[in-house]
Amino acid sequence: MLKLMILKELKSIISSPKFAATFGACSILILLSIFIGINEYQENVKAYDTASQLNNQRLAESLSWHGMSNQIFRKPQVMQILVSGVQNDIGRLSSVGRYEGIKLRRSSYSDDPIFAVFRFIDFAFITQVALSLLAILFTYDAINGERERGTLKLTFANAVPRAKYILAKFLGSTLGLVIPLLIPILIGILLMLLYRVPITGEDWIKISVLLLTSILFFVFFIAAGLMVSAMTRRSSTSFMILLVAWVTMVLIVPRAGVMLAGQLVTIPSVAEIESQQAAYEQSAWDAHYDKMEEARIARRQQMANMTPAEKEAFEEDNMWGWMEEEEASRKKIQGEISDHNKKLNEDHRNRRSEQERLGFSLSRFSPASAYQLACMTLANTNIMLKNSYEDALNQYRDGFLAFTSRKQEENEGTSGIRISIDSETGFSFSGSRGIESLDLSEIPRFDVPRQTLSTIANSTILDVGILLFYTIAAFALGFFAFLRYDVR
Amino acid sequence: MNETLSQIDGSGRQESMLVAAHLSKRYEDGVLALDDLSLAVAPGEIYAMLGGNGAGKTTTINLFLNFIDPTSGQAIVDGIVTHEEPLTARQKIAYVSENVMLYTNFTALQNLDYFARLGGQNDYSKEEYRTALLRVGLQEEAHGKRLRDFSKGMRQKCGIAIAILKDAPAILLDEPTSGLDPKAGLEFISLLDDLRSEGKAILMSTHDIFRAKQIANTIGIMNEGKLVMQKTTEELRGENLEELYVNYMVSGMAVAS
Ligand SMILES: Nc1ncnc2c1ncn2[C@@H]1O[C@H](COP(=O)(O)OP(=O)(O)O)[C@@H](O)[C@H]1O
Ligand SMILES: [Mg+2]
Repeated sequence: MLKLMILKELKSIISSPKFAATFGACSILILLSIFIGINEYQENVKAYDTASQLNNQRLAESLSWHGMSNQIFRKPQVMQILVSGVQNDIGRLSSVGRYEGIKLRRSSYSDDPIFAVFRFIDFAFITQVALSLLAILFTYDAINGERERGTLKLTFANAVPRAKYILAKFLGSTLGLVIPLLIPILIGILLMLLYRVPITGEDWIKISVLLLTSILFFVFFIAAGLMVSAMTRRSSTSFMILLVAWVTMVLIVPRAGVMLAGQLVTIPSVAEIESQQAAYEQSAWDAHYDKMEEARIARRQQMANMTPAEKEAFEEDNMWGWMEEEEASRKKIQGEISDHNKKLNEDHRNRRSEQERLGFSLSRFSPASAYQLACMTLANTNIMLKNSYEDALNQYRDGFLAFTSRKQEENEGTSGIRISIDSETGFSFSGSRGIESLDLSEIPRFDVPRQTLSTIANSTILDVGILLFYTIAAFALGFFAFLRYDVR
Repeated sequence: MNETLSQIDGSGRQESMLVAAHLSKRYEDGVLALDDLSLAVAPGEIYAMLGGNGAGKTTTINLFLNFIDPTSGQAIVDGIVTHEEPLTARQKIAYVSENVMLYTNFTALQNLDYFARLGGQNDYSKEEYRTALLRVGLQEEAHGKRLRDFSKGMRQKCGIAIAILKDAPAILLDEPTSGLDPKAGLEFISLLDDLRSEGKAILMSTHDIFRAKQIANTIGIMNEGKLVMQKTTEELRGENLEELYVNYMVSGMAVAS
């Protein structure tokens, strides 16, 4: 009997007039988004390759190890095709060199603002917005619609257990809606293979988990539709309730959560931080120059009663010491400034991640946010992408600078010493370039920050758990509501 | 209940298939829709409940199907108290509701197939579905059409066909002739006659006095939840049912004989 009722549910979904229209539209939407995603990805890969090549050329032409700066580009990821996340908002490259800090610049949207106007629509977005609506559209009248049509009475004039009926409704709607939707999705993935997107084994795992999470999210709305339908007498009422709930869950709560967190945990803007840093720097250097000036005045006073010959001898004796003193002070202040900046940045980042955590926790009241966060984590296009790249870049910078310094020292042995004077570092010594060009083969390579599957699992399990909880809760509530439903 | 049963058994008739024993129903809003109703329908018998709107006819039928629980008393189908074992009781009941709607995206044949299987009949052939539809007067060309294009009468015929196909010993009909044109009404009367000959116990509600008199073995007049008159057609012979009905309707206080 369960099979009979599930089959009937399947048939009635597929034979309903709204089926053809809505599924046609959703299929086109899904296929189009994957197709555009593939194009975008390939374009990113091309840009990445060209830029890397250019950078290598530039390095090959550089004259000395000293002051060499490298450019690192953010590597395109396969999963961004399905979940673009913040990928287009974050800068795509950063310079790595002695005189500049790590900063990701030139995001896709900052280079081509037109795309920011109508943001990239990806599979995750379609699921979140369009498919959830679709699930509601097919389930809002699942129970009360049958009551209105009198078929519920006719059904329960037979020896049909209620539990079986609602279970059949749930399974039938799920199968009837999920299976047709899998077709465009699978075609989309086929399209990825056809366009030779290099999908690794890890990517396949991620794609599968993404698909399962999306199905779970979709099934939540089926369960919610059934639940509301089993709690109301009229389909017009349940439709209104579900529409309001949808707007709340999909459009309001995610934003409200983040906004509320912004109110609760305030963080200074980047500009504020920068001006604070500038002010500190300014005062530190001012103090340094004052001190130098004082030392000079003291020296002059010391030399006031000396004869010119004595003066010259005195200066000659102490010149080196004074210079070293000055250099030491300069180094010390540089260190202090750098420490201070680091601390400010770290504070800023900590507060920001505190705000993010709170915002995400609040917005997780909506399954739509939980779904979105899970997708972005899976695709590695979430808010952590920026931090993880910056961390990796900072680490790389240390290695890179150590390497260039070592190279520079090695070269000192073979060629003459050249003293260069630089406004910031003061005196520095570097080997002059020989005729032969630099051997770049030993330059440290940048390791693309990657999440291990276990970290992905750890960070998605919460959101998937939330989705699962909501789905089970909605189904259970609908189930028990229906056991007491008045079929007349 | 024993009183009702023994009364009937004592009168030498066959044991009843459908029994209402002091059945009362007070809805949540306080309306006493049914007040101590007792009636019995034996196999091979048609019982017509006559009464105006709100008399309690649908409530009675809903109690037999256990769509609602009785406030007191029992509805019994083939010895089974419906609110105690609703699933078993429902196996023995075929039902045609007041406004048959069915699944409008399915064809008549698909609807018949689904509900026949729900009713436990898995072995019907397409031909048997067609025969049932022809028997209730639905022309051949409509069998494969979706119900969304059907008139109220055509849907009613499908509903009746579904009830026939269930082949249950008891049949509950809630105003079955309301959507039918005169010709279909006549066909329906002869169909009921056939079903009676097959030994079905039929309880129908109607406010069509003419049809009730034409087909029923027993007629009960209901008013405000009470059975105010119950007579067999033999007892009614020579009496003017219309007059009786109107009298009982106007003076609801009149006592049943
Ligand atoms: N669900 C309900 N809640 C409250 N009152 C109801 C309900 N259903 C029917 N009634 C009332 O019970 C009485 C009998 O109704 P019903 O059995 O439908 O009469 P009939 O079928 O003879 O027209 C009417 O007064 C009606 O208003
Ligand atoms: Mg009625």
